[in-house]
Amino acid sequence: MKVSHWICALGVSTVVACQRAAAPASAATELVLRTASVLPDDPGDAAWARAAVFVVPLIPQDMVEPRQLVATTSELRVQALSDGTRAALRLEWSDASADQESRPAHFSDACALQLPAKVAADIPAPQMGEPGKPVEISYWRAAWQRAVDGEPLTLASLYPNAVVDHYPFEAQPAHREIAEAYAPARALGNDMAGPGSAVQDLVATGPGTLEPRTAGDSQARGRRTATGWAVVISRSLPTGLVPGQRTQVAFAVWQGGAGEVGARKMRTAWVDMLREAH
Amino acid sequence: MARVYNWQLGREMSYWYPESRPQKQFAAVFDVNKCIACQTCTLACKTTWTSGRGQEYMLWNNVETKPYGFYPLAWDVNVLDALGEQRWSEGRYEGRTLFEAARAGERVLGWRPEELDYAHPNVGEDDCAGKVDRGHAFGGQHLAWFFYLARICNHCTYPACLASCPRTSIYKRPEDGIVLLDQSRCRGYQECVKACPYKKVFFNPLTGVSEKCIACFPKIEQGLQPQCFANCIGKIRLAGWLSTPDKANPDNPIDYLVHVRKIAKPLMPQLGLEPNIYYIPPLHAPDDFMHQMFGPGVKEAIAAYRHADDDLAGLLALFGSTERIVPRWKRSGEQVLGLEEDGSEIVRVPLREPVHVRAGYDEGRAILRTNCP
Ligand code: SF4
Ligand code: SF4
Repeated sequence: MKVSHWICALGVSTVVACQRAAAPASAATELVLRTASVLPDDPGDAAWARAAVFVVPLIPQDMVEPRQLVATTSELRVQALSDGTRAALRLEWSDASADQESRPAHFSDACALQLPAKVAADIPAPQMGEPGKPVEISYWRAAWQRAVDGEPLTLASLYPNAVVDHYPFEAQPAHREIAEAYAPARALGNDMAGPGSAVQDLVATGPGTLEPRTAGDSQARGRRTATGWAVVISRSLPTGLVPGQRTQVAFAVWQGGAGEVGARKMRTAWVDMLREAH
Repeated sequence: MARVYNWQLGREMSYWYPESRPQKQFAAVFDVNKCIACQTCTLACKTTWTSGRGQEYMLWNNVETKPYGFYPLAWDVNVLDALGEQRWSEGRYEGRTLFEAARAGERVLGWRPEELDYAHPNVGEDDCAGKVDRGHAFGGQHLAWFFYLARICNHCTYPACLASCPRTSIYKRPEDGIVLLDQSRCRGYQECVKACPYKKVFFNPLTGVSEKCIACFPKIEQGLQPQCFANCIGKIRLAGWLSTPDKANPDNPIDYLVHVRKIAKPLMPQLGLEPNIYYIPPLHAPDDFMHQMFGPGVKEAIAAYRHADDDLAGLLALFGSTERIVPRWKRSGEQVLGLEEDGSEIVRVPLREPVHVRAGYDEGRAILRTNCP
């Protein structure tokens, strides 16, 4: 059996286990994408109170190295609304420390949601998809949210006491373009320092294959709550997800303060998501 | 994990990927005995590559005083401590490498420096291993020691940085063995920063991705030595190409020093990366320390260096004599020649510099003069 099949099979059996675990809390077996006339983009919006909460258990990513060996965030509370063209999902989880910087040995809190690229019966492996069966991912990062909220990423914002004598590209205005040469990632369009919003659109066909998804249109806003984070991520409805139909959705959460980054994460299995019929 | 052959260990070992050696391997020899810690190399690199925002703390090249200098703080002590006992038996390494000692769920046994560990690049500079007191400094030879260790990325044959990246953002170039980190692909997970035992990958907080020494590959592609080599005041460095021991060619300067005369040793070979920067060990540091730092054969290396014959001394005279990479060499009487692959001459240096002795008292001008060697 191919590894991807094995991952898929394990994922399916975990879905069942997750739904059983969640049942007492909401009595629901699947996440329902409720219809709403307006999609609230702020996690603090009162409109969210009307959307049912679906509790999804998180499990450590323990299939590919480096693995997440300790279970940290235990569950995610998810609500989902759609206005017929877009879907907005509100994710809430507990995390005692707010980590909003990516610095040497410091990682940002983050979360992500993942959907199969196609609404089809043959679903991709829940861990980042598989070759030929891509998944679409919307990845929110607390550090980017902080920049969007008005604290731009600069040396001074990270290290208020830092003093720098001189940058060669500041000697003369004519030398400004040299700054790009000293920042090759930026020159190549790598937006890991901040995509200009708090969320990135990505596509993957298996662990380690994340690529930017240029056609993506995700938007996100995250806020600190009394106990952790609440984040609303919205994106276009998956093509072909008509009312009354199901697709899958999976989630991941990173606690930066616990060293979680990349593959070191808490994740869910696929969760069935039903688009409300009316 | 795959099984690969690491000739520095004299045995096979486990590695994340199967063995795939480049067509040519960039390598270098540093003569520790000639380094004066002027840090010109450090600045040459800094000016060329890491003068941008977010790179302020990065030193792709650094020079630290051993035993008490480290950048980042205590890197070697921490890595050696994490690895535990390291046993050699007759040139064969019997202990575990960083790949073999990886914990469950990990690819490499790593150690992550704290941010502040990078805040003291000059810690321990010029500090002796012991006190020179009660007038010992005036008594001729004394037992306190230190030496300068210049370090860049080792462009390892089995890079831990490369093995650790879950996105395969790090690659080893098949044409020259230089290990590069793809700036468009990296997502800043810092796995490589933790995995590289030599701490030669750095996270740039203002681009959100990691960066590392690139061996000045644009220069190498033109047949030139990297900036930290070309600018070295002490002329301690020689860049070139290294063969595996079975293919050693005495006409290749790096092969001659590493394989034929065996006077240049890798830095902490027991970690298992088969690093490609080789060191002529310092003459005066204790055997145990040298053994831990450069593996077996240090004593023999030092003996050969102390009693260098004309061939060995001649090749050492080629260090720092040209900016060009010297892939071949030969001695012709009192002259040493640096050659291209096809035998054409790049540079020619005398085996012995002429010595001029001038009378201390200049009769013509009636003044005393100081003679400098
Ligand atoms: S430039 Fe040469 S002599 Fe000076 S510190 Fe660097 S390696 Fe040593
Ligand atoms: S020294 Fe470190 S950064 Fe350089 S190739 Fe080896 S493991 Fe990678």
